[in-house]
Amino acid sequence: MGTTEAAPSHEPDVHYDRVHEAWRLILGSEFHYGYFVPSGIPLVDATAALTEQMLQRAGITPGARVLDVGCGTGHQSCQLASEHGAEVLGITTSGTGVAAATELAASRGLATARFEQRDGTANGLPDASFDVVWALESSHLMRDRKGLLSESARVLVPGGRFVLCDIIRRREIPFLEVRERRDEFALLRSVYGDAHMLPLDDYAAMLTEVGMEVDDLTDISDETLPTFAAWRANCEEHADEITRLIGADGLDEYVRSTHVLEAFWNDRTLGYGILRATKPA
Amino acid sequence: MTVDRARAVIVEFLQRANKEFGELTDDLSLYGGGLELDSLEAAELSAVLEDEFGSDPFSTGDTLPETVGEVLAFYNAA
Repeated sequence: MGTTEAAPSHEPDVHYDRVHEAWRLILGSEFHYGYFVPSGIPLVDATAALTEQMLQRAGITPGARVLDVGCGTGHQSCQLASEHGAEVLGITTSGTGVAAATELAASRGLATARFEQRDGTANGLPDASFDVVWALESSHLMRDRKGLLSESARVLVPGGRFVLCDIIRRREIPFLEVRERRDEFALLRSVYGDAHMLPLDDYAAMLTEVGMEVDDLTDISDETLPTFAAWRANCEEHADEITRLIGADGLDEYVRSTHVLEAFWNDRTLGYGILRATKPA
Repeated sequence: MTVDRARAVIVEFLQRANKEFGELTDDLSLYGGGLELDSLEAAELSAVLEDEFGSDPFSTGDTLPETVGEVLAFYNAA
Protein backbone atom coordinates (compact mmCIF):
# COMPACT_ATOMS: atom_id res chain seq x y z
CA MET A 1 0.00 0.00 0.00
CA GLY A 2 1.48 3.27 -0.86
CA THR A 3 1.17 4.73 2.55
CA THR A 4 1.85 8.36 3.26
CA GLU A 5 5.47 9.55 3.37
CA ALA A 6 7.43 7.80 0.63
CA ALA A 7 6.57 8.07 -3.04
CA PRO A 8 3.87 5.54 -3.75
CA SER A 9 4.97 2.43 -5.50
CA HIS A 10 2.86 -0.54 -6.43
CA GLU A 11 5.77 -2.97 -6.54
CA PRO A 12 5.06 -5.88 -4.19
CA ASP A 13 8.50 -5.84 -2.55
CA VAL A 14 8.58 -2.12 -1.77
CA HIS A 15 5.00 -2.34 -0.62
CA TYR A 16 5.63 -5.13 1.83
CA ASP A 17 8.91 -3.79 3.14
CA ARG A 18 7.44 -0.43 4.03
CA VAL A 19 4.33 -1.35 5.93
CA HIS A 20 5.28 -4.71 7.34
CA GLU A 21 5.57 -3.62 10.93
CA ALA A 22 2.22 -1.83 11.01
CA TRP A 23 0.52 -4.73 9.31
CA ARG A 24 1.85 -7.16 11.87
CA LEU A 25 -0.09 -5.26 14.52
CA ILE A 26 -3.25 -5.22 12.43
CA LEU A 27 -3.19 -8.65 10.77
CA GLY A 28 -1.35 -10.63 13.42
CA SER A 29 1.82 -12.65 12.98
CA GLU A 30 0.33 -14.96 10.33
CA PHE A 31 -0.29 -12.01 8.06
CA HIS A 32 -3.35 -13.25 6.23
CA TYR A 33 -7.13 -13.52 6.40
CA GLY A 34 -8.91 -15.60 9.00
CA TYR A 35 -11.25 -18.57 8.58
CA PHE A 36 -13.82 -17.98 11.29
CA VAL A 37 -15.14 -21.48 11.91
CA PRO A 38 -16.62 -21.85 14.46
CA SER A 39 -17.88 -18.30 14.30
CA GLY A 40 -16.75 -15.91 17.00
CA ILE A 41 -13.23 -17.30 17.38
CA PRO A 42 -10.41 -14.75 17.80
CA LEU A 43 -8.36 -13.63 14.79
CA VAL A 44 -5.28 -15.55 15.90
CA ASP A 45 -7.28 -18.80 15.90
CA ALA A 46 -8.99 -17.89 12.63
CA THR A 47 -5.71 -17.28 10.79
CA ALA A 48 -4.47 -20.61 12.10
CA ALA A 49 -7.73 -22.18 10.88
CA LEU A 50 -7.14 -20.81 7.36
CA THR A 51 -3.65 -22.31 7.38
CA GLU A 52 -5.26 -25.56 8.55
CA GLN A 53 -7.62 -25.46 5.54
CA MET A 54 -4.55 -25.27 3.31
CA LEU A 55 -2.81 -28.06 5.25
CA GLN A 56 -5.79 -30.38 4.89
CA ARG A 57 -5.62 -29.95 1.13
CA ALA A 58 -1.84 -30.11 0.87
CA GLY A 59 -1.47 -33.38 2.74
CA ILE A 60 2.13 -32.64 3.71
CA THR A 61 4.00 -35.68 5.04
CA PRO A 62 7.38 -35.65 6.85
CA GLY A 63 10.19 -35.08 4.39
CA ALA A 64 7.91 -33.58 1.73
CA ARG A 65 9.60 -30.92 -0.37
CA VAL A 66 7.41 -27.81 -0.26
CA LEU A 67 7.74 -24.62 -2.30
CA ASP A 68 6.11 -21.67 -0.50
CA VAL A 69 5.43 -19.10 -3.23
CA GLY A 70 5.15 -15.55 -1.90
CA CYS A 71 6.40 -16.61 1.51
CA GLY A 72 6.27 -13.15 3.10
CA THR A 73 8.34 -13.20 6.25
CA GLY A 74 8.44 -16.97 6.47
CA HIS A 75 5.90 -17.70 9.18
CA GLN A 76 4.13 -20.46 7.26
CA SER A 77 7.32 -21.93 5.83
CA CYS A 78 8.73 -22.28 9.32
CA GLN A 79 5.51 -23.82 10.57
CA LEU A 80 5.46 -26.33 7.71
CA ALA A 81 9.05 -27.27 8.52
CA SER A 82 8.75 -27.42 12.31
CA GLU A 83 5.29 -28.89 12.77
CA HIS A 84 4.96 -31.03 9.66
CA GLY A 85 8.52 -32.09 8.96
CA ALA A 86 8.55 -30.55 5.49
CA GLU A 87 11.68 -29.39 3.71
CA VAL A 88 10.59 -25.93 2.68
CA LEU A 89 11.92 -23.42 0.19
CA GLY A 90 10.18 -20.07 0.62
CA ILE A 91 10.43 -17.59 -2.23
CA THR A 92 9.47 -13.93 -2.36
CA THR A 93 10.40 -10.94 -4.53
CA SER A 94 11.22 -9.00 -1.35
CA GLY A 95 14.83 -8.99 -0.18
CA THR A 96 13.68 -7.79 3.22
CA GLY A 97 11.24 -10.69 3.35
CA VAL A 98 14.04 -13.18 2.64
CA ALA A 99 16.21 -11.64 5.36
CA ALA A 100 13.40 -11.65 7.93
CA ALA A 101 12.35 -15.19 7.07
CA THR A 102 15.93 -16.49 7.21
CA GLU A 103 16.33 -14.87 10.62
CA LEU A 104 13.07 -16.40 11.81
CA ALA A 105 14.17 -19.88 10.72
CA ALA A 106 17.57 -19.41 12.40
CA SER A 107 15.96 -18.23 15.62
CA ARG A 108 13.97 -21.44 15.69
CA GLY A 109 16.97 -23.57 14.77
CA LEU A 110 15.23 -24.75 11.59
CA ALA A 111 17.63 -26.00 8.94
CA THR A 112 14.75 -27.32 6.84
CA ALA A 113 13.25 -23.92 5.99
CA ARG A 114 15.33 -21.97 3.46
CA PHE A 115 14.50 -18.72 1.70
CA GLU A 116 15.50 -17.24 -1.63
CA GLN A 117 14.61 -14.08 -3.52
CA ARG A 118 12.78 -15.39 -6.56
CA ASP A 119 9.72 -14.50 -8.62
CA GLY A 120 6.91 -17.04 -8.43
CA THR A 121 5.92 -16.34 -12.03
CA ALA A 122 9.40 -17.32 -13.32
CA ASN A 123 11.02 -19.17 -10.46
CA GLY A 124 14.08 -20.64 -12.19
CA LEU A 125 13.87 -23.83 -10.11
CA PRO A 126 14.39 -27.32 -11.58
CA ASP A 127 11.50 -29.29 -13.08
CA ALA A 128 9.76 -31.86 -10.86
CA SER A 129 11.58 -30.84 -7.69
CA PHE A 130 8.72 -30.34 -5.21
CA ASP A 131 5.95 -32.49 -3.75
CA VAL A 132 3.77 -29.53 -2.81
CA VAL A 133 3.54 -25.96 -4.09
CA TRP A 134 1.87 -23.69 -1.55
CA ALA A 135 0.57 -20.20 -2.43
CA LEU A 136 -1.16 -18.61 0.54
CA GLU A 137 -2.71 -15.24 -0.33
CA SER A 138 0.16 -14.19 -2.54
CA SER A 139 -1.20 -14.65 -6.05
CA HIS A 140 -3.29 -11.46 -6.17
CA LEU A 141 -0.11 -9.39 -6.37
CA MET A 142 1.28 -11.39 -9.30
CA ARG A 143 0.19 -9.82 -12.57
CA ASP A 144 1.28 -12.87 -14.58
CA ARG A 145 -1.09 -15.38 -13.01
CA LYS A 146 -0.62 -17.84 -15.83
CA GLY A 147 3.13 -17.72 -15.18
CA LEU A 148 2.56 -18.54 -11.52
CA LEU A 149 0.37 -21.53 -12.30
CA SER A 150 2.48 -22.94 -15.14
CA GLU A 151 5.68 -22.55 -13.11
CA SER A 152 4.04 -24.21 -10.13
CA ALA A 153 2.92 -27.12 -12.30
CA ARG A 154 6.38 -27.41 -13.84
CA VAL A 155 8.27 -27.76 -10.56
CA LEU A 156 5.86 -30.32 -9.10
CA VAL A 157 6.64 -34.02 -9.27
CA PRO A 158 3.97 -36.21 -10.90
CA GLY A 159 1.32 -36.72 -8.22
CA GLY A 160 2.39 -33.48 -6.52
CA ARG A 161 -0.15 -31.00 -5.20
CA PHE A 162 -0.72 -27.31 -5.73
CA VAL A 163 -2.69 -25.50 -3.03
CA LEU A 164 -3.70 -21.87 -3.17
CA CYS A 165 -5.96 -19.52 -1.28
CA ASP A 166 -6.54 -15.89 -2.07
CA ILE A 167 -8.91 -13.00 -2.53
CA ILE A 168 -11.10 -13.61 -5.57
CA ARG A 169 -13.45 -11.67 -7.82
CA ARG A 170 -16.94 -13.11 -7.71
CA ARG A 171 -18.54 -11.36 -10.67
CA GLU A 172 -17.77 -9.27 -13.70
CA ILE A 173 -17.47 -5.62 -12.74
CA PRO A 174 -18.69 -3.50 -15.70
CA PHE A 175 -16.47 -0.63 -16.75
CA LEU A 176 -18.93 2.05 -15.71
CA GLU A 177 -19.15 0.51 -12.24
CA VAL A 178 -15.35 0.51 -11.92
CA ARG A 179 -15.48 4.16 -12.96
CA GLU A 180 -18.24 4.93 -10.49
CA ARG A 181 -16.45 3.18 -7.61
CA ARG A 182 -12.93 4.18 -8.66
CA ASP A 183 -12.22 5.95 -5.38
CA GLU A 184 -12.91 2.72 -3.51
CA PHE A 185 -10.73 0.69 -5.87
CA ALA A 186 -8.00 3.33 -5.69
CA LEU A 187 -8.09 3.19 -1.90
CA LEU A 188 -7.59 -0.58 -2.02
CA ARG A 189 -4.69 -0.15 -4.45
CA SER A 190 -3.15 2.46 -2.19
CA VAL A 191 -3.42 0.23 0.85
CA TYR A 192 -2.79 -3.26 -0.52
CA GLY A 193 -0.70 -2.67 -3.63
CA ASP A 194 -1.40 -3.38 -7.27
CA ALA A 195 -3.67 -6.35 -6.72
CA HIS A 196 -5.67 -8.12 -9.40
CA MET A 197 -8.39 -10.48 -8.35
CA LEU A 198 -9.59 -13.32 -10.56
CA PRO A 199 -12.61 -15.61 -10.26
CA LEU A 200 -11.90 -19.06 -8.82
CA ASP A 201 -13.04 -20.54 -12.13
CA ASP A 202 -10.29 -18.64 -13.95
CA TYR A 203 -7.69 -20.27 -11.72
CA ALA A 204 -9.25 -23.65 -12.43
CA ALA A 205 -9.28 -23.05 -16.19
CA MET A 206 -5.64 -21.95 -16.23
CA LEU A 207 -4.56 -24.89 -14.09
CA THR A 208 -6.35 -27.29 -16.41
CA GLU A 209 -4.63 -25.61 -19.33
CA VAL A 210 -1.22 -26.37 -17.84
CA GLY A 211 -2.12 -30.01 -17.32
CA MET A 212 -3.18 -29.98 -13.68
CA GLU A 213 -6.24 -31.79 -12.35
CA VAL A 214 -8.29 -29.43 -10.19
CA ASP A 215 -9.81 -31.51 -7.42
CA ASP A 216 -11.09 -28.84 -5.07
CA LEU A 217 -12.44 -25.33 -5.62
CA THR A 218 -14.15 -23.78 -2.60
CA ASP A 219 -15.57 -20.32 -2.02
CA ILE A 220 -14.91 -19.38 1.61
CA SER A 221 -16.05 -15.77 1.41
CA ASP A 222 -18.56 -16.13 4.24
CA GLU A 223 -16.00 -17.79 6.51
CA THR A 224 -13.46 -15.01 5.93
CA LEU A 225 -15.88 -12.05 6.24
CA PRO A 226 -15.32 -11.45 10.00
CA THR A 227 -11.65 -10.74 9.22
CA PHE A 228 -12.37 -7.06 8.56
CA ALA A 229 -13.99 -6.40 11.92
CA ALA A 230 -11.04 -8.15 13.58
CA TRP A 231 -8.54 -5.95 11.69
CA ARG A 232 -10.46 -2.83 12.71
CA ALA A 233 -10.41 -3.94 16.34
CA ASN A 234 -6.62 -4.26 16.10
CA CYS A 235 -6.39 -0.82 14.47
CA GLU A 236 -8.21 0.59 17.46
CA GLU A 237 -6.23 -1.34 20.03
CA HIS A 238 -2.82 -0.45 18.53
CA ALA A 239 -3.76 2.98 17.13
CA ASP A 240 -0.85 4.84 18.73
CA GLU A 241 1.83 2.48 17.52
CA ILE A 242 0.36 2.14 14.04
CA THR A 243 0.17 5.92 13.76
CA ARG A 244 3.84 6.13 14.70
CA LEU A 245 4.69 3.62 11.95
CA ILE A 246 2.51 4.73 9.04
CA GLY A 247 1.05 8.03 10.18
CA ALA A 248 -2.50 9.00 11.06
CA ASP A 249 -3.39 9.09 7.36
CA GLY A 250 -2.04 5.57 6.89
CA LEU A 251 -4.10 4.28 9.78
CA ASP A 252 -7.20 6.09 8.54
CA GLU A 253 -6.72 4.68 5.04
CA TYR A 254 -6.38 1.20 6.45
CA VAL A 255 -9.55 1.44 8.51
CA ARG A 256 -11.47 2.80 5.52
CA SER A 257 -10.10 0.00 3.34
CA THR A 258 -11.56 -2.60 5.70
CA HIS A 259 -15.00 -1.03 5.27
CA VAL A 260 -14.60 -1.00 1.47
CA LEU A 261 -13.56 -4.65 1.44
CA GLU A 262 -16.37 -5.62 3.77
CA ALA A 263 -18.88 -3.93 1.46
CA PHE A 264 -17.36 -5.72 -1.55
CA TRP A 265 -17.65 -9.03 0.31
CA ASN A 266 -21.26 -8.30 1.24
CA ASP A 267 -22.34 -7.33 -2.28
CA ARG A 268 -20.53 -10.39 -3.67
CA THR A 269 -18.04 -8.41 -5.74
CA LEU A 270 -15.00 -9.80 -3.99
CA GLY A 271 -14.51 -12.77 -1.72
CA TYR A 272 -12.08 -15.51 -0.85
CA GLY A 273 -11.36 -18.87 -2.39
CA ILE A 274 -9.23 -21.92 -1.81
CA LEU A 275 -8.28 -24.65 -4.25
CA ARG A 276 -6.22 -27.72 -4.80
CA ALA A 277 -4.90 -29.22 -8.03
CA THR A 278 -2.86 -32.35 -8.58
CA LYS A 279 -0.24 -33.01 -11.22
CA PRO A 280 -1.22 -36.24 -12.97
CA ALA A 281 1.06 -39.14 -12.07
CA MET B 1 -6.74 21.85 -30.91
CA THR B 2 -8.74 19.61 -28.62
CA VAL B 3 -6.95 16.54 -29.85
CA ASP B 4 -3.55 17.97 -28.85
CA ARG B 5 -4.85 18.82 -25.40
CA ALA B 6 -6.28 15.32 -25.14
CA ARG B 7 -2.87 13.88 -25.97
CA ALA B 8 -1.29 16.09 -23.29
CA VAL B 9 -3.86 14.94 -20.72
CA ILE B 10 -3.10 11.29 -21.55
CA VAL B 11 0.66 11.89 -21.22
CA GLU B 12 0.23 13.61 -17.87
CA PHE B 13 -2.01 10.79 -16.66
CA LEU B 14 0.49 8.11 -17.70
CA GLN B 15 3.34 9.94 -15.99
CA ARG B 16 1.37 10.25 -12.78
CA ALA B 17 0.47 6.55 -12.93
CA ASN B 18 4.17 5.65 -13.32
CA LYS B 19 3.52 4.01 -16.67
CA GLU B 20 6.38 3.42 -19.03
CA PHE B 21 5.61 4.55 -22.54
CA GLY B 22 7.32 5.79 -25.65
CA GLU B 23 5.62 7.59 -28.48
CA LEU B 24 1.83 7.62 -28.29
CA THR B 25 1.14 6.24 -31.74
CA ASP B 26 -2.46 5.87 -32.86
CA ASP B 27 -2.32 2.08 -32.95
CA LEU B 28 -0.82 1.75 -29.46
CA SER B 29 -3.12 -0.44 -27.33
CA LEU B 30 -4.35 1.03 -24.07
CA TYR B 31 -4.24 -2.43 -22.54
CA GLY B 32 -2.14 -5.59 -22.89
CA GLY B 33 0.82 -5.31 -25.24
CA GLY B 34 0.61 -1.51 -25.12
CA LEU B 35 0.15 0.83 -22.18
CA GLU B 36 -0.97 -2.07 -19.97
CA LEU B 37 -3.76 -0.12 -18.29
CA ASP B 38 -5.95 -2.19 -16.01
CA SER B 39 -9.66 -1.50 -15.63
CA LEU B 40 -9.16 0.88 -12.71
CA GLU B 41 -6.52 2.86 -14.59
CA ALA B 42 -8.77 3.04 -17.64
CA ALA B 43 -11.58 4.28 -15.37
CA GLU B 44 -9.27 6.90 -13.92
CA LEU B 45 -8.17 8.04 -17.38
CA SER B 46 -11.82 8.23 -18.36
CA ALA B 47 -12.57 10.47 -15.37
CA VAL B 48 -9.55 12.71 -16.01
CA LEU B 49 -10.61 13.22 -19.62
CA GLU B 50 -14.17 13.99 -18.60
CA ASP B 51 -12.96 16.51 -16.02
CA GLU B 52 -10.94 18.26 -18.72
CA PHE B 53 -13.33 18.13 -21.65
CA GLY B 54 -16.79 17.49 -20.21
CA SER B 55 -17.10 14.17 -22.01
CA ASP B 56 -14.92 11.15 -22.67
CA PRO B 57 -14.94 8.21 -25.06
CA PHE B 58 -15.08 5.58 -22.30
CA SER B 59 -18.35 6.60 -20.72
CA THR B 60 -20.25 8.22 -23.57
CA GLY B 61 -19.09 6.28 -26.61
CA ASP B 62 -20.89 3.26 -27.97
CA THR B 63 -17.87 1.01 -27.48
CA LEU B 64 -14.87 1.30 -25.22
CA PRO B 65 -11.76 2.60 -26.98
CA GLU B 66 -8.97 0.07 -27.40
CA THR B 67 -6.17 2.27 -28.68
CA VAL B 68 -4.69 5.73 -28.18
CA GLY B 69 -5.94 6.63 -31.65
CA GLU B 70 -9.51 5.74 -30.75
CA VAL B 71 -9.39 8.02 -27.71
CA LEU B 72 -7.97 10.88 -29.77
CA ALA B 73 -10.46 10.30 -32.58
CA PHE B 74 -13.29 10.98 -30.12
CA TYR B 75 -11.95 14.49 -29.61
CA ASN B 76 -11.08 14.93 -33.26
CA ALA B 77 -14.66 14.22 -34.17
CA ALA B 78 -16.00 16.44 -31.42
